Amino acid sequence: MNAPLFTEDLKLLNGNHAVAWGVCLAEPDVAPVYPITPQTPILEKLIDFESRGACQIELLTPESEHSAMAAAIAASATGARVFTATSSQGLLLMHELLHYASGARTPIVLFNVNRTPAAPWGFWPDQIDSLSQRDTGWVQLYSESPQESLDSVIQAFRIAEAVNLPVMVNHDAFYVSHSVEPVSIPDAGMVRDFLPRIPREIQLGDGTGRSLGAPIDQAAWNLTRREMDAAMKRVENVSEQAGSEWERLTGRPSAPLEFYRCEDAEIVYVTMGSMSGTVREVVDLLRESGVPAGLLKVRLFRPLPVQALRHALAGTSCAIVLDRNYSPGTGGVLHQELKAGLFGMENPPRVHGMLAGVGGVNVPVGSIAKLAADCRNAEQTAEPVWVE
Amino acid sequence: MNKHPSPLWTHLTSENRMTGTWRSALPNYQNQPSPCLGACPVHGHIAEWIKQVKDGDVYGAWVTLTENNPFPAIAGRICHHPCESACNRQHMDETVGICSLERFVGDTALAEGWQFSAPPTQETSVAVIGGGPAGLSAAYQLRRRGFRVALYETKDELGGLMRFGIPAYRLARSVLDGEINRITAMGVDLHLGVPAVDGAALETLQNSHDAVFLATGASLPKRLPALDYANPWVVDSADFLAAPVSEQTDRTGARVIVIGGGSAAMDVARSARRLGRSVTVLALEPEGRLPAQRIEVEEAVEEGVNFVHGAMMKSAEALGSGVVLNCVRVDFEPGDAPGAFSVEPLDGSDFELMADTIIPAIGQDADLARWSGVLDAKGPVVATGRDWQTSKPGLYAGGDVASMNRFVTQAVGMGKEAATAIAAALTPGDARPPANGAAQVAYDRINIAYHDTHGRNRQRNTEIEARLATFDEVQQPLGPNEARSEAARCFSCGTCIYCDNCYFYCPDMAITKLENGYVVNSDYCKGCGLCVAECPTGSIHMREDTSS
Amino acid sequence: MEMTKYRDNGQFCSGHVACAGCAEALSMRVILNAVGEDTVGVVAPSCTAVILGGHPMSSAKIPVLHGTLESAAASASGVKRALKAQGRDDTTVLCLAGDGGTYDIGLQALSSAAERNEDILYVCFDNEGYMNTGGQKSSSTPHMATTGSTPLGKATHKKNLIEILAAHRIPYIATASPSHLSDLAAKVEKAKSIRGTKVIIVLIPCLPGWGVADNAAVKTARLAVEAGAFPLLEIEDGVHYSLTVAEKTRPIDAYLAEQKRYRRLSDEDRAALQSEVDDAWSRLLARAGKDLNA
Ligand SMILES: Cc1cc2nc3c(=O)[nH]c(=O)nc-3n(C[C@H](O)[C@H](O)[C@H](O)COP(=O)(O)OP(=O)(O)OC[C@H]3O[C@@H](n4cnc5c(N)ncnc54)[C@H](O)[C@@H]3O)c2cc1C
Ligand SMILES: Cc1ncc(C[n+]2csc(CCOP(=O)(O)OP(=O)(O)O)c2C)c(N)n1
Ligand code: SF4
Ligand code: SF4
Ligand code: SF4
Ligand SMILES: [Mg+2]
Repeated sequence: MNAPLFTEDLKLLNGNHAVAWGVCLAEPDVAPVYPITPQTPILEKLIDFESRGACQIELLTPESEHSAMAAAIAASATGARVFTATSSQGLLLMHELLHYASGARTPIVLFNVNRTPAAPWGFWPDQIDSLSQRDTGWVQLYSESPQESLDSVIQAFRIAEAVNLPVMVNHDAFYVSHSVEPVSIPDAGMVRDFLPRIPREIQLGDGTGRSLGAPIDQAAWNLTRREMDAAMKRVENVSEQAGSEWERLTGRPSAPLEFYRCEDAEIVYVTMGSMSGTVREVVDLLRESGVPAGLLKVRLFRPLPVQALRHALAGTSCAIVLDRNYSPGTGGVLHQELKAGLFGMENPPRVHGMLAGVGGVNVPVGSIAKLAADCRNAEQTAEPVWVE
Repeated sequence: MNKHPSPLWTHLTSENRMTGTWRSALPNYQNQPSPCLGACPVHGHIAEWIKQVKDGDVYGAWVTLTENNPFPAIAGRICHHPCESACNRQHMDETVGICSLERFVGDTALAEGWQFSAPPTQETSVAVIGGGPAGLSAAYQLRRRGFRVALYETKDELGGLMRFGIPAYRLARSVLDGEINRITAMGVDLHLGVPAVDGAALETLQNSHDAVFLATGASLPKRLPALDYANPWVVDSADFLAAPVSEQTDRTGARVIVIGGGSAAMDVARSARRLGRSVTVLALEPEGRLPAQRIEVEEAVEEGVNFVHGAMMKSAEALGSGVVLNCVRVDFEPGDAPGAFSVEPLDGSDFELMADTIIPAIGQDADLARWSGVLDAKGPVVATGRDWQTSKPGLYAGGDVASMNRFVTQAVGMGKEAATAIAAALTPGDARPPANGAAQVAYDRINIAYHDTHGRNRQRNTEIEARLATFDEVQQPLGPNEARSEAARCFSCGTCIYCDNCYFYCPDMAITKLENGYVVNSDYCKGCGLCVAECPTGSIHMREDTSS
Repeated sequence: MEMTKYRDNGQFCSGHVACAGCAEALSMRVILNAVGEDTVGVVAPSCTAVILGGHPMSSAKIPVLHGTLESAAASASGVKRALKAQGRDDTTVLCLAGDGGTYDIGLQALSSAAERNEDILYVCFDNEGYMNTGGQKSSSTPHMATTGSTPLGKATHKKNLIEILAAHRIPYIATASPSHLSDLAAKVEKAKSIRGTKVIIVLIPCLPGWGVADNAAVKTARLAVEAGAFPLLEIEDGVHYSLTVAEKTRPIDAYLAEQKRYRRLSDEDRAALQSEVDDAWSRLLARAGKDLNA
């Protein structure tokens, strides 16, 4: 970790408030938001900031997340920097418009608090809400801690505006959203420089009279997806750069993938979000007992940095994927994604898919540690394993 | 707007798409004759001049009107106005008061002293025989075209039956004089009080002029065989009407019986009422079927004229100081031709009427004997062919002498048509304009949504008592506001009023406004017909178009 | 009746793909020109969107966001807020949607925008059905009208959206008709000058959807107005009602006869519809009258 270029304020904040701080620093122009547990504190904090004049945001409180996203898209297409936040049902209600947002190439930043979708009703950390939106064309980042959430939401604007794709940042309900820790608040000027206002090439009302999204033929529609594909391909690089600049400025590394004690690791745990903290403990324990284990934390899930993953896992014999999500009929989404990402690799690691913490259940350190022994010499299975 | 193509953002306007290819019909602007124009004996541009009145341009209206009719103030009073019977507006509420508007224009012109301008007189000269409406109309049209005109009239005053038939209470003499003087002021060689032109004189006139127009009217009264006209108690209607009031008074007793049911009979009856006579009209026709106009009969009734309908006089004889008329009721059957009929006396229905004076008013014939051997006749009138030319080349005839359409404006129309034909014949290379074959605009072509329902602005009559006291005009004119309001009722059938509706209602912006009209852009017009449907005047129609 | 007059500065372009004789295109022409250049549009999927678009061309000179069906009012709010953030609060945001996108799937978003009194001008092209999808019923389809999804005639009534909107107490609500284009232009101009949520509902007789002749959309709309089947009115602040055309001047028959969607009506049906119109009209008069006495 490098020394920060800026001195920062330290505040005790929960994950959601840290997000609100980050949003405030990113100075969006418009923020349509709709309440839902456990996202609500983000909304409330933003409104609190705005009403106290700490930031100037056009806050919209429509009747639904659907309308929030519609307004977000429209505002973004009109050239505004736009933020919104939601969780679970809200994100799912937005589904139609998530496609629209990316299709329209609107660089919106959305913060999603990962929560179980109904039925039955639950309010527990689980990433299936956002992972089931993986095909909507949004860049997805996952955060482990309040600090990382703050840092990520700022970086998200940088990435979104560089490639004109919307970015969704996620953190787990309660484990991150409501857990309090000391959070460094970056300098406002520094954030402003980090997020320069890039003039849009085209926007609604720019005097050209050009219209957005008019009915189109097949070939032209196809072309929009090819253009999105090209933009998605740039995301890894852009977020890499954003991360390293952020690290230079704040001292906090923010790469698409984060490695913990992965050098010479024979066993690598692969996970996202709050699970990473537990796994870090597990890795330390295993290392102490002589097991060469490491942690690969995926921050950038969409697009998955496939080459970096293959590079990182070369020489590893065993990858244990911990999925706090369940895609019925297949298993863990990260498991599927990783297997696909490693497809055709020379001497690939065996990939073990573990459904760990689905529905927000607590996964004790011991259970995770035990997986190392279970999997170290075991054959990989296509089927995921439910972790007790 | 054209930067670089993007699949997300438009960069062209739809003007690049030629929707004209969808079309199978294209709107076509064409002013078309209105039904009133079609019915008008002079084919006046009624829609046009009424619009000018509506717009407050009365002078313009007068100019337009007098292209075809030099007598708007006269016609506005006594024209039988077939235009109104044809008017499209009757299908919505009531016909437009065309005649009252015409009078408004004519009266304004007289009051303002507007004059016709005539080009300098050429050498080519035309003789007009007869100074009634037909002759005056021809003289006027010829002078407008620069011809020299010599007019021969037996009477000392011009006007024909307008002066010696139609009573002053329907047509003030000042109006008559005003409109006639305006024509003579154009420079007409007047020969008044000349001996009646006969066959020989005709030939002479033909030799001394390049063309001759014969308009001597129908001056021979038809005679009732049952009546001895030598009796002092028989007065011919034509003589009666032509006479000054003092003479009329001298020649009638207290009880007057008028025989006949036409306009002349009404004029006689109503004049006699103004002399204080008690008047009874004896007519063959049953009630409601008199040949006189309904309004004339109504006004006669108002003025106290008695009617004996469906009966005829068999004989009359003096009895004491008076006369007894032996009458019988009849079964009246109208014939096929206008004016033709047959009657069957009803047995046992004889009755008597008492009178002091009998004035038969049963019509007049053209004096064909005067031209026998010189001109061919066709039935009761001088035979004419196309353009009113008689059997003698270069000799034209019109008005009552040549037609059974015996109305003032019919005579004016014939005079105009004959003059136009004469002018064409005398002007080398001047082909007559082809007849306008365009169909008249039917009511269903008028979008009445743009015309508010509004009853007719009616002219008022003076009080009955006042009427009977003098020969002053009965019908009072429309005031300027009433005239404007009446003019606004006109649909302007077939005459574009430049309202821009067609332009405004095109969903495809395919109509462009020009300085003086509109043009359809065939690149975009989809042929929907909305412009036509929303035209308040029927001045556009759809025409098949398969060009694209 | 007064002659038609409105400004046309070329804001709506020839070459659009509306049906020949489409009253929606005609109304669009008036609206786009009345609202002026300094406008950003939002359109919901509908015939309107088709008329405006056809990539890479646009028939509107103003920029238009082709948004989603249920979110027109929300999208318009977003545009407005973005403009406001950019200091361009005077730019008009014009929202265009069909009746399906307004009475049905978009009502929630519209209600919310109205409740927030967003500064938008919302125009609903009410062709009384889902026409872009081939002519199914919407909640705006009137009683007894046949559509693709009400082949025997709709059994229920047209939703009274005007009353719903009035209940939101927004500053301006109006109805308009392509038969009264000057009035439509005046209403758009008036709405434009008011801050807050303005809604104008324009009756659009759909040629194929209603079974109306190519040249008869305007006539049909006029008959609707004259029969009182589609009253022209304004409501200010949700309470001040005023009738633009203050009288009902003809029975409903001629209006019904112009349309194939009412072809199967019996005499009793027509009488029933007439009394519905009469009832609605007297309720409306009462509202307008109440205002006069207030
Ligand atoms: C009583 C009465 C009332 C009428 N009321 C109406 C009415 O209200 N509305 C209407 O439209 N029509 C009316 N008419 C009909 C109308 O007046 C005539 O149809 C019309 O005047 C015919 O015009 P004209 O020029 O052919 O003949 P005339 O008006 O008869 O004019 C012929 C002229 O030729 C002159 N003339 C005759 N013979 C000779 C000759 N050999 N040489 C030289 N000059 C000659 C005559 O003196 C006369 O001046 C009425 C007719 C009568 C009799
Ligand atoms: C969420 C969603 N559901 C369905 C559709 C399909 N759809 C497109 S237009 C339309 C009809 C809209 O009707 P209306 O708003 O009345 O407009 P009109 O087509 O009649 O002009 C429908 C159902 C859609 N675009 N989006
Ligand atoms: S409405 Fe006017 S133009 Fe049409 S027939 Fe009547 S007078 Fe003539
Ligand atoms: S309204 Fe326009 S598109 Fe329709 S026929 Fe007339 S010019 Fe052509
Ligand atoms: S609509 Fe008006 S401007 Fe167009 S042709 Fe008809 S009268 Fe003339
Ligand atoms: Mg619709």
